[in-house]
Amino acid sequence: MSLLEIKNVSKIYGDLKALDNVNITVEKGDWVAIMGPSGSGKSTMMNIIGCMDKPTSGEVLLDGVDISKQSNKYLTEVRRDKIGLIFQQFHMVNYLTAVENIMVSQYYHSLPDEEEALEALGRVGLRERARHLPSQLSGGEQQRVCVARALINHPEIILADEPTGNLDEANENIVLDLFAQLHREGTTLIVVTHDPEVADVAQRTIVLEHGRVAREVHNASWGK
Amino acid sequence: MSKRAMFLRMVTASLLRRRSRMLIALLSIGIGATILCGLLTIYYDVPRQMGAQFRSYGANVILLADGAPSLTHSAVQEAMRAFPEEKIVGATPYRYVRMDMVSRQQSFTTAGTDFTQVQKTSPYFSVEGSYPENLREVLVGKEIAELIGVRLNSVMELTYKPAEGAGTQDQANAWGPGASLAGSAEGWGSGLVNVSAVLDGEGRIASVTVDAATQTPEIGGQCEEEAFTSQFIGQSLPIADVDAVSGATLTSHAVLSALNTSVRSDAASNQAKTSSFRVVGILTTGGEEEGYLFISEADMAAMTGDAETLDVVEMSVSASAEELDGFVDAVGQQEGVRARLVKRVTRSEAAVLTKLQALVFLVTVVVLLLTMICVSTTMMAVVTERRQEIGLRKALGASDGSIRAEFLGEGMFLGLLGGVLGGLFGFGFAQLVSVNVFGSSITFQPLLLPIAVILSMAVSALSCLWPIKRAVQIDPAIVLKGE
Repeated sequence: MSLLEIKNVSKIYGDLKALDNVNITVEKGDWVAIMGPSGSGKSTMMNIIGCMDKPTSGEVLLDGVDISKQSNKYLTEVRRDKIGLIFQQFHMVNYLTAVENIMVSQYYHSLPDEEEALEALGRVGLRERARHLPSQLSGGEQQRVCVARALINHPEIILADEPTGNLDEANENIVLDLFAQLHREGTTLIVVTHDPEVADVAQRTIVLEHGRVAREVHNASWGK
Repeated sequence: MSKRAMFLRMVTASLLRRRSRMLIALLSIGIGATILCGLLTIYYDVPRQMGAQFRSYGANVILLADGAPSLTHSAVQEAMRAFPEEKIVGATPYRYVRMDMVSRQQSFTTAGTDFTQVQKTSPYFSVEGSYPENLREVLVGKEIAELIGVRLNSVMELTYKPAEGAGTQDQANAWGPGASLAGSAEGWGSGLVNVSAVLDGEGRIASVTVDAATQTPEIGGQCEEEAFTSQFIGQSLPIADVDAVSGATLTSHAVLSALNTSVRSDAASNQAKTSSFRVVGILTTGGEEEGYLFISEADMAAMTGDAETLDVVEMSVSASAEELDGFVDAVGQQEGVRARLVKRVTRSEAAVLTKLQALVFLVTVVVLLLTMICVSTTMMAVVTERRQEIGLRKALGASDGSIRAEFLGEGMFLGLLGGVLGGLFGFGFAQLVSVNVFGSSITFQPLLLPIAVILSMAVSALSCLWPIKRAVQIDPAIVLKGE
């Protein structure tokens, strides 16, 4: 059984078909990039995979459960338990320190554990910045904190939305290196991006155009 | 770390690290709580405050004679014990007599009183000049002053004459201890037999002198002798029977009759007394007092030879209508004196008090609503400002309940802080109002602090409901793409 199966999914806003009969399968441990120009349906795809929206038709099977038919409450639980989110704008709670931001995720998931949160910060190389507020961190540092936050509850999928969109090249590389490390450890990664460089480091790239899967590319250079 | 500890950490961090916004919310709650607490303090203190105010409108209790011919100082002192000392604002004795101003052929009602007390029970009295402070000084009602044309420092000669036949009308009083008595009655041949007597300290006859010059010396004249008069010594008036001189029955009975109708012969009783008084003040009240003269109690006693008698005592008592009823009943238990409420004053006091409390209550409710609107608006702004954060929290898996709890927690925490601030500043506010409006300081009600805190927490919680509803509706997808 695949970890994530998207079957014949369409999302229609009025006259606009944001997604048109899309089929995607993601296996456990995959690193998949979803690419496409603006308006191709990337964001809608991301919302649906991230359990923040439901398709108009079709099935979204996560661990074999069709989440498209579930209540909002159930979707909240799925977000909390199975998905780690990373955003383009980082999104940290601006009045909480780095470590507290990670603990927020623990708080909603189960129990806050400061030691574990500090360890996660250590993994992204920011242990000494644990007591800093977001305003005292650079963009790259903030995104690394967000990666640590996404990891903390051991989600089945890490879903990243343009994770390097607001980063300079140096920080982009740090974040992509972290992804590679996570992938080696067996984490499933889905990265939505329009940046070919980000897509290139993934195992395979799904290109969306006009709400349809235009092509699926297995990265030839991958792993080399 | 427990979930609760993290919850508190998030809530306090939100308040402490987002100071500017939270200060505005805190300010609105704090000011609301301050005014609320202040108004509540005033609400509870109004009766006491207004009690003092009302006392400036004059006496609310009057002591009168009851069953006795007149009120006495000793009866009044007894009656005053029915009133707690700290509630008595003032008690003014009045003794009213007519005094003549011979030079003008006028007579005026003259009141003997205690001017220190007058100023307490009738603070509305308006005096041009001053109240009498020394003997032989008089306060003249404006009406009289205009009638006879006296001015400040004029001298008025007043004469007190006891009423005609005062003795027979008031025998009991005339036959008081130590009195000198004089009487006369017709004896033999319509001749008048005059008798004078002196009473001892217990009111019994100490000595008797008979003047029977109009009677036959050898017969009725024997009634002048001690052998006859000694039978009256030690007896109390009136005397029932007489051991007559043989052959002089008519004269003997005339002596008895003269004794039994005797009146005071000492100066106080039947001699006119005249003194000069200097006018030190002209009194304007807008009432009947303008037609009176006022002299000190000591002058009144000197003029009438009677320091004990009073006509009325006007009391100003700072108490609620119910308390006053109780005091009046207690006075009613005593002999010779009764208390009467001045209904006009006590009723209007109660009415004004009720209206004032209703007004304060209404203002309190309005302030409560305004505070709620203010806090609600601020919290709404907070929610709007934190849309991204709320979306993030939801994206991270926060349930609606968690979001509610966090915002409610912040609101309650603000309410707690605002309530404590309000409780403290509110007392200051109430004090300010009290000093400026009522001119007296306020008593701190410790119970109001927890009430203010609980109330302000409830108000802020209530004010948060609508903003929280909005917060819960925020779509987690807003965190994507930095919309």
